[in-house]
Amino acid sequence: MAGDARATQPAGWLSRKRKWLTSQLTHLRSGLRGFLRIMRANPLTLVGFVMVVLIVSVAVLVVLLPPIGQALVGHPVSILPYGPNYYPSPCPTRIVTTGNYSYPTCTLPPSTEHLLGTDNLGRDMLSRVMAALPLDLAIGFVVTAFAALLGGSLGLVAGYWNQPRTIKGAISVAILRLTDIFLAFPSLVLALAIAATLGRGTLPTVLAILLTWWPYYVRLVRGEVLVVKHQPYVTAAKAAGLSDLRILIRHVIRNILEPVTVYYTLDVGTVLVTFSTISFIGIGVPLDVPEWGNMVEYYQTQNLMGIAPWTILAAGGAIFVTVLAFSLLGDGLRDVLDPRSRRALAQAAVPTTVAAPAALGEA
Amino acid sequence: MTEPVLQVEGLSVDYEVGAGTFHAVQDVSFELHPGRVLGIVGETGCGKSTLAHAIPRLLQEPPARIRRGIVRFRGIDLLKLPRWQLPRVRGTGISMVFQEPINSLNPAYRIYDQVAEAIRIRRLRESGQAPGLVSPQEPFDYSKPKMPNVGEVLLKPLVPSKGPASRRPMFSKDAQDLRATVLEYLKLVRINDPDTILNLYPHELSGGMRQRVMIAIALSGRPSLLIADEPTSALDITIQAQVLTLMKELMTEIRTSILFISHDLGVIAEMADDVGVMYAGHLVELGPVDQVYRDPRHPYTKGLLRSAPSKYKSEGPLPSLPGSVPNLSRLPRGCPFHPRCVLAHADCTQDPGPKLTKAVEAAGPEHLAACYYSKEVPGIP
Repeated sequence: MAGDARATQPAGWLSRKRKWLTSQLTHLRSGLRGFLRIMRANPLTLVGFVMVVLIVSVAVLVVLLPPIGQALVGHPVSILPYGPNYYPSPCPTRIVTTGNYSYPTCTLPPSTEHLLGTDNLGRDMLSRVMAALPLDLAIGFVVTAFAALLGGSLGLVAGYWNQPRTIKGAISVAILRLTDIFLAFPSLVLALAIAATLGRGTLPTVLAILLTWWPYYVRLVRGEVLVVKHQPYVTAAKAAGLSDLRILIRHVIRNILEPVTVYYTLDVGTVLVTFSTISFIGIGVPLDVPEWGNMVEYYQTQNLMGIAPWTILAAGGAIFVTVLAFSLLGDGLRDVLDPRSRRALAQAAVPTTVAAPAALGEA
Repeated sequence: MTEPVLQVEGLSVDYEVGAGTFHAVQDVSFELHPGRVLGIVGETGCGKSTLAHAIPRLLQEPPARIRRGIVRFRGIDLLKLPRWQLPRVRGTGISMVFQEPINSLNPAYRIYDQVAEAIRIRRLRESGQAPGLVSPQEPFDYSKPKMPNVGEVLLKPLVPSKGPASRRPMFSKDAQDLRATVLEYLKLVRINDPDTILNLYPHELSGGMRQRVMIAIALSGRPSLLIADEPTSALDITIQAQVLTLMKELMTEIRTSILFISHDLGVIAEMADDVGVMYAGHLVELGPVDQVYRDPRHPYTKGLLRSAPSKYKSEGPLPSLPGSVPNLSRLPRGCPFHPRCVLAHADCTQDPGPKLTKAVEAAGPEHLAACYYSKEVPGIP
C-alpha cells in the first residue's frame, strides 16, 4: 500500500516536502503516544502536569489580558474577579466577638461572592492570590533558570577541563572551592543574610536567591559531565576529529540535559518556598506588591489567624499547591528520564493494551 | 618502496596509578606502508589497545603517560604536535573503529546526524574552510611513489576559515548532497535499508548494525590510516563473521592502510598482510602473516600458535604455555618472556632485552623477531 502511494506521488520538490511532512507527523504521533503511555504509567505525573499547565495559563492570562483588552475593547479586561487593587470603601463589615470584646471588621468568610473570602481591608482574597501568581511563578522559573545557567556553565568548565596540574585544571579547582564556600552556609540562612544586607525590595530578594542557588548546579552538572566525558562515544567523537569545545557543546551538553531538567523542575518549587520565606520574615518583597509570602506575614501580624483564617490559608494554600504541582511533575520526569530509577520504567513497559493475547492467539 | 604512512619508533606508554607504574607499551617500533594491513595480536592486557589509542593520542593523560618515542604519521610527529592541533589530524587523517559498538554512538542523536557530522568535518577541511589534514584528492590510490607531506596544512588553512557552515535551509542543495553522501556510506557498509536507518536512534539498532555505522563513520572521513581496535570482539560469533567479511570486502574496495588489533589469531590471518605479536607491552615478532604463521621465530609466537585450537588436531588437551603473563608493573629483567621460555639462557636475563632483529634471511618483506635464539625456535617441539 505504501508502495502504491509512493508511485502515485508526483516527483520533485512537492513530493519531497510531503514525504518530509509525513515523517515529521509520524514522529510527532509516536512521541505523543509515548507521552500518553508514560502519563498512564504514573498518573501522579499527569496530575502534576495538568496542575502546572493550569497554573502557568492562569499566570499568563493575569499578565496578558489587561493590555490585550485595552487594545481590543478600549478598557482592560481581567480574569481577577475584583481586580488586583480593589479597596471597597466603606467596606462591608461584620461584628466579631472575641471574649468580652466585640468589634467590626472587613473580613468576610468565603461565600459565592468572594470565593476565598476577604481580608481586613475588604479586598477579595481570590483576586489577591491570583494577582500574586505571575510574580511568584516568574521568580520560581527565572531565578532557577539563571542559577542553572550560571552554575551549569561553571559546572561544565569544572567538569570538562579537570586535568590536574594545568591552568584549566587550576580554574576548575578554583570554581569548586568557591562552590564549597557557598555550600558551607545553609542556603536559606545565606539568602536571608544577603537579602537583609541588600535591603527590602523584589530585586534584592531575587539577587539573594540567585547568589545562593548556583552552587548546587555546579555540583550537579560537574558530576554528570564527569560521567559523560568518559563514555566511549566521547572518545569516538574525538577520534572523528571534533575539537574539545565542539564535543562539549554537541555531545556532552545534550547528554546531561535530562538530569538537569529534572532537577530544575523540582527546584522551581524550592526556590518559590525560599522566596516566600524571605518575604514572610519581612525582609523580602515590600507589602504593596502582592506576593504570597508577604501576604501570610501581613495577615499574621494583623492577628487574622483567629478571626479570619481563610486569608492566611488562601495565601499559604497557593504556595502549597504550586510547589506540589512542580514536585509531582519533577518526580514523574525523573522516573521517566532517569534510567536508574527502574520502577517507573518497569511500569511504563507494561503493555497498556490487550493486543498481546490476541496476537498470541493468532500465532 | 613507498614512504610509510605510519612510522612508530621506540614508543613507550606507562600508566601511573596508585599501585605503581604499569609499562603497558615498551619500546615498540614498526612501519605501516600505504595500502597494507598490519595486524597486532596478543593476549588480553599485553598493550594492544593502549598502542592503538596512543597513536592518535586518544589516551586519558593522566593516568597514561607517553614516556618517549616517535609516532610519525605522513611526516608529522604526532607526539610533538600541540594538543589543540590533534583534532585536525583525527577523522580525516587517522580514524578509528572501537571495541564497544554499544556505547560508541551518542544515544541522543539519530544515525543521520552522527554520520553527517563526520562527512561535514571532512568537507569543511577539503574545501579549506576549516584547517585539517585531509587525504590527497585520490585518497586510495597508492600507486604514486610518495605520499604528499601536508603537515603545513595543520598550521594554516588554505582559505581563511569562515566558521561552521551550519544552519542552512532544509531543502538546500548542500543538505541534499549531504544526505546522499550519508546514504552512500551506509550502503558501502552493506546496510540494506539506509533510508530507514537514517532516522533511527542507536538503541534501536543491533550490535552488528551499530558497528557497521561506526565503520561508515570512520570511513566517511576518508582517512589515510584506519585503526580498528578489536572491532569484532564485542559481537557474537555470526555477527562477527559478517562484520569481518564486510571489512575484508571494504579493504579491497578502498585501499586505505589499516592497523588491525585483535586477540584472535584466525582473524588476523584472514585480514592482515603483516602481523606484529605483542607480549607484555613488547613487540616480540613482526613480519608477513603467512611467513610468521608458517615459521615463527619467537618462542612466544610459537607457543601461541601451538595453543590455538585447530580442527585437524582434535586428540588430547590443547597445549598451553607454562606460567602466566608477568605483572606489567614488575616486568622481569631482560627479555620479558624468559621466565616461561624453554630456550632461556643466562644472557636473556640481562638488561637491555633483545631487540627486534632480522630472524630469517629471505627476499621480500622483513621478518623480525626479538629473540637471541631465534635460529633454534623451529626446533622447539
